[in-house]
Amino acid sequence: MNSYVYFFGCVIPNRYPGVEYAIRWVMGKDGFNLDVKDHPEFSCCPVPGIFYSTDKDTWLLLAARNLVLAQDERRQVLTVCNGCLASLLKATESLQDPKAMGKVNRVLAQIGKKYTGIPQKSNEGKRKVFDPVKVRHYVEVMANDVGMDAIKAKASRPLKNIKVAAHYGCHYLRPTERTTFEDPNNPIMIDNIVEACGGTSVDYEDKLDCCGAGGGVRSHVVELANSLTQDKCTNIAAAGADCIVTGCPFCLLQFDNAQKTFSKDGIPVMHVSQLQALSMGIDPISLGFDTHHVSAHSLLRKLRGM
Amino acid sequence: MGEVEKTFIGGLHEQLIEEKVIDESQLDPDFPKLIRKYGGKDVMTCLQCGNCTGVCPISLKIDYKTRNIIKCCQFGLKKYTLGTRWVCATCYRCYEHCPADLNPAEVMIALRHIAVREGIIPPFIKIAATNLVKYGQSVKPDPEIDKIRKELGLGKIGVEHPEFGKVIREIGVLIRATKYDKLIGIQEEVKA
Repeated sequence: MNSYVYFFGCVIPNRYPGVEYAIRWVMGKDGFNLDVKDHPEFSCCPVPGIFYSTDKDTWLLLAARNLVLAQDERRQVLTVCNGCLASLLKATESLQDPKAMGKVNRVLAQIGKKYTGIPQKSNEGKRKVFDPVKVRHYVEVMANDVGMDAIKAKASRPLKNIKVAAHYGCHYLRPTERTTFEDPNNPIMIDNIVEACGGTSVDYEDKLDCCGAGGGVRSHVVELANSLTQDKCTNIAAAGADCIVTGCPFCLLQFDNAQKTFSKDGIPVMHVSQLQALSMGIDPISLGFDTHHVSAHSLLRKLRGM
Repeated sequence: MGEVEKTFIGGLHEQLIEEKVIDESQLDPDFPKLIRKYGGKDVMTCLQCGNCTGVCPISLKIDYKTRNIIKCCQFGLKKYTLGTRWVCATCYRCYEHCPADLNPAEVMIALRHIAVREGIIPPFIKIAATNLVKYGQSVKPDPEIDKIRKELGLGKIGVEHPEFGKVIREIGVLIRATKYDKLIGIQEEVKA
């Protein structure tokens, strides 16, 4: 069985603690009891919209530092954010080039670290062969390592009559040569998780469109980001969805904050893990919905059959 | 080269429409080379087919057309190109649809690299980088959220652990090694 190390990133611990709680609960002994631990020394991935955009050398060094920590633990990095996934995956790919790895390691030596990748077990003793550190995403781990049957079996309180709009987010799907775990034009994993939890995944127009936040657009030109979100929300509302579910906390933050600017109530937004936890019978109070800007009351009432 | 065709300028940017005439002094023939230096592919391979623009969520919304930006890069319109706002969401849709395999999103990223080195640095870059060197994360910790973390029984966030000082020092070393602090003007924060 695979062993993982949590990589929560920046947004979840500092903005949506309920998501962190849900992830720990679903992965832990109340849920699927996976072999996963924390690492106290992880920093920001670093965020691609800032560092990859302005200085690739700095970006690679900071990402490599995080990868070394996972490498020394001999564990796979479990990201729960599309940005972390994109940044760290791209970094492992860049570090496959021996020249780039050498350049990074010359600087990492100043802080007593070295990136090699994880040595293959079968080759120990002979000439060592290294695999790049594996970077995983929560959604894909749920689909591939846990499996839909297990998710279904654990859903003690199936989400009957709940219509869910799945939002995948750009960096989960693209660039396609790195994120190869799904068909980028027809992703199914979040939809499958929703169905396994007993909910109904509704189709809506422009499902694979961007939430608007990525690449620094939210930070730089917030009105533009919000207008993209508004388009998405219009389509989602037309499909009659009770909530939006995403695997990316930055998309979550964007949907959650942007909706305030153009509608009074809005459609509740949550992370896949929060939806799973609900279907597994968690007390919703632990999911930290009070830190969300769009109230989840409408959804929770419907869940209680009111 | 006295005049650039109006069709090329049309719908691009008000400033350019007003100027109408672009003389050679505004063109930098080495601009495509510079883009390659910062990780973009050769913009001269662009066929101007417009697939990138048709799938770009931003191009469909505002007066920003990916194809036109690439065309400006081919011409070497450095000052104008660097002056456009950073609105690419790096969704990589253009990359998936580019028949010339140019990866326009990476060109946009190369343009940002060049802009920063020309001193064009949007404030959010400094804010996020400052957060990183201070807290180890790009998002600033919020005391209200911290209260809720405690109520939920979640552990402390990284920067509140006593041993996290080591992480901050390591980040400082890496940022100084690439002179990133000088590049975006946060030397004071890294020192502190």
